Amino acid sequence: MATSEKPPARLREATPTSPVKSPRSRNQSLDLVLAELPQVGSSLQPAIPPRQLWLSVHLPALPLEALLDTATAAAVFEDRQGLRKVLLANGQARAAGIGPGLTVNAALALLPTVHLGERNPLREAEVLRAIAAWAEGFTSLACIEPPAVLLLEIAGSLKLFGGIRTLRQRIVDELDSQGFAASVAIAPTPLAATWLARAGQRACIRDPRNLVGRLGLLPLGCAAWPQAVCTSLEGMGVTTIGEALRLPRSGFAKRFGAARLLELDRAAGRLPDPRASYRAAERFIADFDLSEEQDDAGLLLNACHELLLRLERFLLRRQLAVQYLEFSFFHLQVPATPLSLGCVQPDRAVQHWFSLLEIRFERLALPAPVIAIRLCAGQGQPFTAQTENLKFKRRESQPQNTPITHLAERLSARIGEASVHGVMTVAEYRPQYAWQLCSNFAVAPHCTSTPLGHTNSLVVQRPLWILEEPRRLETHRGVPCYQGPLQLLGEPERLETGWWDGEGIARDYFAAVNPKRVHLWVYRNRGKDKDHWYLHGMFG
Amino acid sequence: MPDALESLLENPRIWRGQARAEAAGWQGLASGYPKLDRHLPGGGWPHPALTEILVDHYGCGELQLLMPALAKLSQPGDAAAAGWIAWVAPPFAPYPPALSQWGVNLSRVLIVRPGTAQEALWAAEQALSSGNCAAVLLWSEALDDAASRRLQLAAEKGRSWAIAFRSLKALSQPSAAALRIRIDAGAEGTDLGILKNRGGRPAVVRDYAG
Repeated sequence: MATSEKPPARLREATPTSPVKSPRSRNQSLDLVLAELPQVGSSLQPAIPPRQLWLSVHLPALPLEALLDTATAAAVFEDRQGLRKVLLANGQARAAGIGPGLTVNAALALLPTVHLGERNPLREAEVLRAIAAWAEGFTSLACIEPPAVLLLEIAGSLKLFGGIRTLRQRIVDELDSQGFAASVAIAPTPLAATWLARAGQRACIRDPRNLVGRLGLLPLGCAAWPQAVCTSLEGMGVTTIGEALRLPRSGFAKRFGAARLLELDRAAGRLPDPRASYRAAERFIADFDLSEEQDDAGLLLNACHELLLRLERFLLRRQLAVQYLEFSFFHLQVPATPLSLGCVQPDRAVQHWFSLLEIRFERLALPAPVIAIRLCAGQGQPFTAQTENLKFKRRESQPQNTPITHLAERLSARIGEASVHGVMTVAEYRPQYAWQLCSNFAVAPHCTSTPLGHTNSLVVQRPLWILEEPRRLETHRGVPCYQGPLQLLGEPERLETGWWDGEGIARDYFAAVNPKRVHLWVYRNRGKDKDHWYLHGMFG
Repeated sequence: MPDALESLLENPRIWRGQARAEAAGWQGLASGYPKLDRHLPGGGWPHPALTEILVDHYGCGELQLLMPALAKLSQPGDAAAAGWIAWVAPPFAPYPPALSQWGVNLSRVLIVRPGTAQEALWAAEQALSSGNCAAVLLWSEALDDAASRRLQLAAEKGRSWAIAFRSLKALSQPSAAALRIRIDAGAEGTDLGILKNRGGRPAVVRDYAG
């Protein structure tokens, strides 16, 4: 804030007498030109909306961290013109003398136990995307600046996360716990934040007026321009961003391309720099690579649990839930074994999915040890949380109230989906059609209830047990028998209906009792086989 | 002095029979049959607990005995929401129109047909301990002492009512059930033989419905 009283640094440095690092004798003419022509930095006035604040995360050791476990000595090498040279080494490897530029053989000679891996840009991009997905938790606008920078627009997040310091600390800490060393800088424009972070400066610039002065001190290298541009600028004695800003605009654009000029203007906040927000994939797919082939069920389940945890975090951030999951267990020699799980209502809770998985995994026959596990989630659906009453009085030993669907899913996971169902009545006179199974019994599980009482139009009592196929009864001297001769009770109930669909019935139903005092529901057909008796139910 | 006596009687080593249920404030589920309720501690089916019903033949009146209580559980009450009733491995198909006539809320009926006896026990245990089911009916011939103990514990965990139907062959087997009832259907009405009655006394209830 103190600098705002003085003239901006840019103006002071822009005078022709300002010191230039290159030898004066060679650049005398250039200085004169600079004085006459409009300079790169001065023709446009600051025009950025003051509201934006960008936090840039630079991951300098990403090639190493994405590839190798950095707990032990590790280094990443790159193939440069047939020579395999070390690109990055971690602290322990550096302590042994391994540094960038060393050949792989030399590194192995220095430290035979060093963990070496070839740089994998695809893997780096994948890791960066995963971090961007994580960063979506802090801001609605996160974007990736390849190869190793992540940009977060945080002006709108400051209040929620308790201020700029707290937010910054939290981001650094959480990255650290995930195993990434990050350099974080904050500036009003995305490019300025990126350059500051690349330069390793813990800058936090909130006022756009301080931006140019701070940018001017940065070395040209942090802009990540092509090597030819940097060399050419260095040849002109331009080594910092500030010096580049002072060059004539038209000459600069002609020599180095309008894109470079645009970058400078955007970094300094003179032109808007719109960014497209990174959007993580809407469907969750994650892999878990095992370091060696495994067939231990406990270990595999643990790996699946880890995947489910990631899924839950993914869904939680989007307020989504899924109905289907598919695990694939990959083997080295044989095709992958799939295992799909489904549930009645979309869910995201780890415990729920894991309990279903455990039941199914128990019966899964794996043809070979597993080398990797993949989890693909189905289409995300809006999560509807259950509402519960406000409970002022806590009832003790009240069991946790999970929806009935969880129970039904557990049961059907083990004993088959067709074996778990509900029932409903159908308005139909024929007894065998007066009911049916319903599998979607839990669609509205918490609101349906028929009023108490005999809403059914039936007058005559129906049996509690029904035989799905009526059973033909033996007859003894015209009396039907079921474990002994039956004694018919009361008057028959005549059901004669269904002529319209070819399955009409014409029956006389009786309640009957056998010598063992079992109450039965029997009928005989009217018409041609009137002597045949059938058992259709029991009163139970 | 009465206080000293009371504190002495609260010692868990002293078994007090009928009085224990009343002292513990048990509230049984009214069976809907006053003659039976009079013999049950707490004035109804023990809850949460396991009840065993021993029958000669399925269909001789074992469901009618339970229907009033099940109907009440399946309807939303003053204190509790409507409870689910799980039927695990029923020997025949329960007939929905008849259930409806008895007042059972059909939207709360869950029927489970496991393939094996082991799965049936597992399913019943899951349903009991889930806390969703107000009652779980299980038909199983594989119910031994250990399994009945598991069901009893699951019922307590989920605060549910477990009912196991068994044949009369199981009469001599030990069981952890809180209540064991034998059904004898006769010409003058159905008699109930209360074989084991935790907190009460064994008895025979003649023509319970009459």
